[in-house]
Amino acid sequence: MTSIAQERADRLKSLPFQKSAVAGGGLIGGFWGSIKEIAAHRELLDLLIRRELKARYKDSSLGFIWSLIRPLTMLLIYYVAIGQFLGAARGIPDFAIFVFTGLTIWGLYSEIVSTGTMSIIGNAGLIKKVYLPREIFPLAATGSAIFNFVIQMVVLVGATILLGQFPLSWNLLYVPVAIVIVLVWGVAFALLLSALNVYLRDVQYLVEVAMLILFWASPIVYSWSLVVGAITNSRAPWLIEVYLLNPVTVAVLAFQKGLWQAGSETRTLGDAVVGPQPWPPDLDLRLLVTAVVGFVFLIICQRVFQKLQGNFAQEI
Amino acid sequence: MTLLPQRPPIKDAPVVIRTKDVSKRFIIRKDKSLKERIVNFGRSKQHKEDFWALRDIGIEITAGTSVGLVGANGSGKSTLLKVIGGIIQPNDGFVERRGRLAALLELGAGFHPDLTGRENVFLNGSILGLTQQQTADYFDSIVAFSEIGDFIDTQVKFYSSGMYVRLAFAIAVHVDPDILLVDEVLAVGDEPFQKKCMDKIREFQQEGRTIVFVSHSAGQIADLCDRVIVLSHGKIVFDGETEAGIDALRESFGS
Repeated sequence: MTSIAQERADRLKSLPFQKSAVAGGGLIGGFWGSIKEIAAHRELLDLLIRRELKARYKDSSLGFIWSLIRPLTMLLIYYVAIGQFLGAARGIPDFAIFVFTGLTIWGLYSEIVSTGTMSIIGNAGLIKKVYLPREIFPLAATGSAIFNFVIQMVVLVGATILLGQFPLSWNLLYVPVAIVIVLVWGVAFALLLSALNVYLRDVQYLVEVAMLILFWASPIVYSWSLVVGAITNSRAPWLIEVYLLNPVTVAVLAFQKGLWQAGSETRTLGDAVVGPQPWPPDLDLRLLVTAVVGFVFLIICQRVFQKLQGNFAQEI
Repeated sequence: MTLLPQRPPIKDAPVVIRTKDVSKRFIIRKDKSLKERIVNFGRSKQHKEDFWALRDIGIEITAGTSVGLVGANGSGKSTLLKVIGGIIQPNDGFVERRGRLAALLELGAGFHPDLTGRENVFLNGSILGLTQQQTADYFDSIVAFSEIGDFIDTQVKFYSSGMYVRLAFAIAVHVDPDILLVDEVLAVGDEPFQKKCMDKIREFQQEGRTIVFVSHSAGQIADLCDRVIVLSHGKIVFDGETEAGIDALRESFGS
């Protein structure tokens, strides 16, 4: 009769040795290895996302409604201040839907990047004590951002249906493409910045400022036609290319093209007749390039993260 | 001295932990913000200080042994434990392991204060490598071991510190590890619970699990370990029998 101890020893003997926390592997091979490791921890990822969501509004009586109040307040502010006072609504049909469309996709991106950046520092206790694939923390932040995005999406789609503006056309295909681009670039930046933030805490403040600027660098509360008008009349028409280099700008435009039906139709606003909104030339090609470059960037960021994570436990 | 229970003999026990030339260098920067770094750029040598927390550590631990890592403060024993656990990557050399590993480095590290005990059991179990199904199967046994009772559905921020560590310990011992890393955490809870922890550790030893302790308590080491590794300034100065090891430890304090 063999004892439990002997059985355990015999079983262990047959197991291969595992090197702990291998940072090696090539660019693609290492990336793939990390993906597999994260996939093995997907239950934990799921729990961490729930933890983040549950803990956020745990003791508040309104709970998840708070995650809607913020974007709706922003919508109200922009609708009144920019739309009515500054008069942007005069050239943009269905201004409320337009703004909320932009705010929704922008909210996804900015939440992924800003909560992602804080995610490693925020989980310092765990990182110092237990080995887990550390990518899980920025990914959990992404997961909770996606959850908020879905709630806003439901409101947005609900509003378009209520107003009889649901964009039932092939343009809807732009929506998933825009979401994929935002996710890829958002996760890439979240990985990169969360790792850098461990070594240099200035990153988190830099991100805050950058997000403020980037919000106005995409056509969210003003329309693309205003940008085209302003730039083509200037002496530097190439600026339009610079403007479109921003991956989020391209994604925002695609998202609007998908969900903002009034932009593709001729409408009368008061006395004026507003034709279909212009869209950037070669939008489809730009989306493809942005997505492909985004995937490459994501792989590079993950490798950088992997390189830097070896010292997380002592640098935090 | 307590009498050691008879350990089951293991025939040709396999090596479960192997470290090869593991070295770890710590760099202590005195400037942390961007401004300081830019101001001190070029003179950065003066603002950096490095020392070797571990130097060329090569050890092999066979299945079923209980090893004590001891040494003075700052000798690198906790660092070595973290390197074995994969929490810190060495600058040089490598660590190889086999079997399921659980680390009792700090109890309750994964607890979220706003979640209930029940939610934290599932979260912490998952962090330590259990599936949801396994945690659900062990759940009653975990609650019984922790003696938390009805408080399991209370947010853990309202727990006393004793309840907190009891629950954490209960989860950790239910992970069914082949290798258990323990860092100074056995002195938790009141006396009956401490005894319960020790009994559990002995049970683990009976079942042939490998245990690596970091402890300052020579008594505990003498009680539990059958091999002692003494570290001093990141190097191994002694590796062998427990009693001789404790003498070597006392000697290393003197040096």
